[in-house]
Amino acid sequence: MKLRRVIGYLGVLPLALLFLLLSGAASVDTKALSGGSATVFDDSREAFSQASPVMDQDNLATFVQGRNLFRQSWVVAPANDRAAGLGPLYNRISCIACHAKNGRGGAPDGPDGTMQAMLLRLSIPGTNPHGGPKPHPAYGDQLNERGVPGVPGEGIGFLIYDEHIETLADGTEVTLRKPNVHFKEMAYGTLGADVMVSPRVGPVVYGLGLLEAISDDTILAMARQAKPDGIAGRVNIVWDAMAQKEAIGRFGMKANVATLTEQIANAFHGDLGITSPLMPKENCSKVQTACQQAPSGGDPELTRAELYATVFYQRMLAVPARRDVNDKQVIQGKRLFVQARCIACHAAPLRTRPDAALPALSNQLILPYTDLLLHDMGPGLADGRSDYLANGREWRTPPLWGIGLTHKVNPDAGYLHDGRARTLLEAIMWHGGEGSYSKEAVRKMTTEDRTALLRFLESL
Amino acid sequence: MLRTPLSIRKLFAAAIFGFASVIALAADKPVSKVVVMTSYPEEVVSRFEAAFEKAHPGTRVEILWRRSGDALSYLRKPNQGNVDVYWTPAQRNFQILAQEGAFRRPELDMTGLPAKVGGFPISDPAGFYLASEIAAYGLAINPQRLQDKKLAAPKQWTDLTGPEWKDEIVFPVPGKVGFAPILTDIILQGYGWDKGWALLQAIGSNAHLLGQGGANISDDVRNGKASVGVSIDFFIKSAIANGAPLQFVYPGITGYSPAHVGIMKGAANLTAARAFAAFVLSDEGQKILFHHDIRKLPVRPAVYANKPAGYYDPFEAAKAMPFVFDTERALARQGLNNTLYDVLISNEHARLRQANDKVIQAEHAANTAALKARAAQARSLLDTVPVSEAEANMLAPQFVFAFDETTDAHRNDAITAQWTTRIRQNRERAEQLAQEVLNASGKQAGAQ
Repeated sequence: MKLRRVIGYLGVLPLALLFLLLSGAASVDTKALSGGSATVFDDSREAFSQASPVMDQDNLATFVQGRNLFRQSWVVAPANDRAAGLGPLYNRISCIACHAKNGRGGAPDGPDGTMQAMLLRLSIPGTNPHGGPKPHPAYGDQLNERGVPGVPGEGIGFLIYDEHIETLADGTEVTLRKPNVHFKEMAYGTLGADVMVSPRVGPVVYGLGLLEAISDDTILAMARQAKPDGIAGRVNIVWDAMAQKEAIGRFGMKANVATLTEQIANAFHGDLGITSPLMPKENCSKVQTACQQAPSGGDPELTRAELYATVFYQRMLAVPARRDVNDKQVIQGKRLFVQARCIACHAAPLRTRPDAALPALSNQLILPYTDLLLHDMGPGLADGRSDYLANGREWRTPPLWGIGLTHKVNPDAGYLHDGRARTLLEAIMWHGGEGSYSKEAVRKMTTEDRTALLRFLESL
Repeated sequence: MLRTPLSIRKLFAAAIFGFASVIALAADKPVSKVVVMTSYPEEVVSRFEAAFEKAHPGTRVEILWRRSGDALSYLRKPNQGNVDVYWTPAQRNFQILAQEGAFRRPELDMTGLPAKVGGFPISDPAGFYLASEIAAYGLAINPQRLQDKKLAAPKQWTDLTGPEWKDEIVFPVPGKVGFAPILTDIILQGYGWDKGWALLQAIGSNAHLLGQGGANISDDVRNGKASVGVSIDFFIKSAIANGAPLQFVYPGITGYSPAHVGIMKGAANLTAARAFAAFVLSDEGQKILFHHDIRKLPVRPAVYANKPAGYYDPFEAAKAMPFVFDTERALARQGLNNTLYDVLISNEHARLRQANDKVIQAEHAANTAALKARAAQARSLLDTVPVSEAEANMLAPQFVFAFDETTDAHRNDAITAQWTTRIRQNRERAEQLAQEVLNASGKQAGAQ
């Protein structure tokens, strides 16, 4: 164990490769190692749920604790149960409800569908004291559809889709659906005309330790890098609640959160109503009196150690290896991915910092296919809701590693921030703004080339 | 690093926020609901919730999640905590609640839903709560590790008693792992009280005892901590369906643990409650149980016509089952069994192992009829249960039900101390006899 820890400080890629070679996997191709040494060779439905090979077995108990907390169905307080503390207002009762098997969630298919893995971010014009979104005075910063007994849920959001067809050069028609958000049964008054609403599906939660280990300098360098064809990219600067200072945002769909710990604490608080040392107050607004009077499950409901265990779990969830990396069609698709400028934002490879908080994640050459920067994605994807520096058209480039396993892990998953895209091709055809060049390049592709491009994406 | 000026952001946001058509649709049909209490994991809950809501647009499922041990007190609150439906694997709770008159008759069409699997009753004979799925017990196997260890795949519980299985088994402690008490009594009923406890001791002696996290047995076996994990089936079958390189064996002697659905007497949303219960039992609801992430056994035999390849059919298997498991008997003595398991196996596990090892050595070493008889005497002492089945059944009511905190946790201390003393004496004597056999046969106690 000591030897492993020592090697961990030096960077464990060589050891991992040696291990893979010695263990008989002599055909391991470094092109497949999306997460460097933190890659797992698993393409099953549990591909997103494996512990990183670099995790020291001494930490297994913490990983399992984090996994249990992530899978925990939370309980209304008071209860004779450690998991008491759900709500008073909440969206779902467990983390995995929105991140099924640690993968993406999906959007409702129409107005009758409930938001099982989706939430609605809310804000009003202006900013909070730190420059972030200004929460709605009655409903806060996200709609909590559900309340514990005695506390009315905030209301119901539902989607009505507008559809249009995009025609590709070979005549293929792609039907795109755009969600329009509607509300009913609002329990705490009307939302008001100036409310800004942004629907979001649960994102993947593996590989986050590696993204956390990318240095600020690397992100800033990518922002400075000149890019062709109208592509830019800029960092979001957000309030780091732990450090109590401004920092580069890298988590969240608008790169609106600086640290993984804060991202997780926010989700516990906003989605489940679970308080933690970072978010110690229940999620009740001033007008939600029943919410304020509801019993709490603890002060806070999630201890520091439990929050850390959940963070550690997500830091140590391995990235699945690429498949078919030497397949001719996949290689051709990769070439087209570069030619179509997708690589300008969906960047790879990147190297993690040499002094990552978890030494095992240091110095890893990884293939996340993200630059963690904000990009204007055009009006089609705009949510009209600003978040720190991110305006209503900007989104953080989402990582693509593991995306080829999305539907194997969760057949109900949708692509893009709101799950509107049912296929990767639909997702591409929604690109606008800085992504226009790539979209048009794909539109013009021959059937064969487009198939190859999609095969490459499926190999990630 | 400069921020975008606020005014620009405001203007920008104002210009495009209209994309999300935020319209309060006052004319929309109001949403009805059904409040369901359950302890099912998210994989089960979310699939039924989504499928039910799709089948019944306008009716929402509101889940109140409670562990079985904590659900009773909630359901005993005024208005039954406003719960409409109780749907969960917790036989004991359903039994107690039915005795307290907590349920109303569901009044559902039960066509195609037998009350028994073979001779084994799964639903409330009085009809207040209905079986919604069943689970069986068996052995999770890591074929690679079996091959590495040159072990033959076990087919029966009795295949796990030999010394070659030492440290190759994970066994759940019944007082700590929710599904294990029924498993324990299946072995006791299937093999008889004395033989059953001897078998549990022999397997327990070989096993890593799992004190919590029954759902993690598949991890332990998959990761090579052991070759075999004794488990309820769905944890393992689901892991296999999701790609785990494991196998699952249903031993010839197994039993079933049914889950149930019941409509609360005070259900405020009665129509929706009936609709939910009916959906759970419907063809559509029962087929959800086949899902990779669930892998439970439907109680509607007709749906097995469309079962995934290799799926276990308990109605078919029941035809060859050599006994009919008696759930009532198991539930009545669950507390006693849990305590007895601890006294016999968990509390002094190292001591049990030591005695068992020595007796096995003596059995192998005995080379005359007299020595064989002495080794058999040692075995008999080791296998002796400090309480007969008749006594156990008599004593059972005074043993605390595992989750019941209203009774004095120490009230059985004296009797368990007596059992412990008897077991220690028997083990000591068994070891003496075994040592005599080893001495007489010229072999010394040592490594296995």
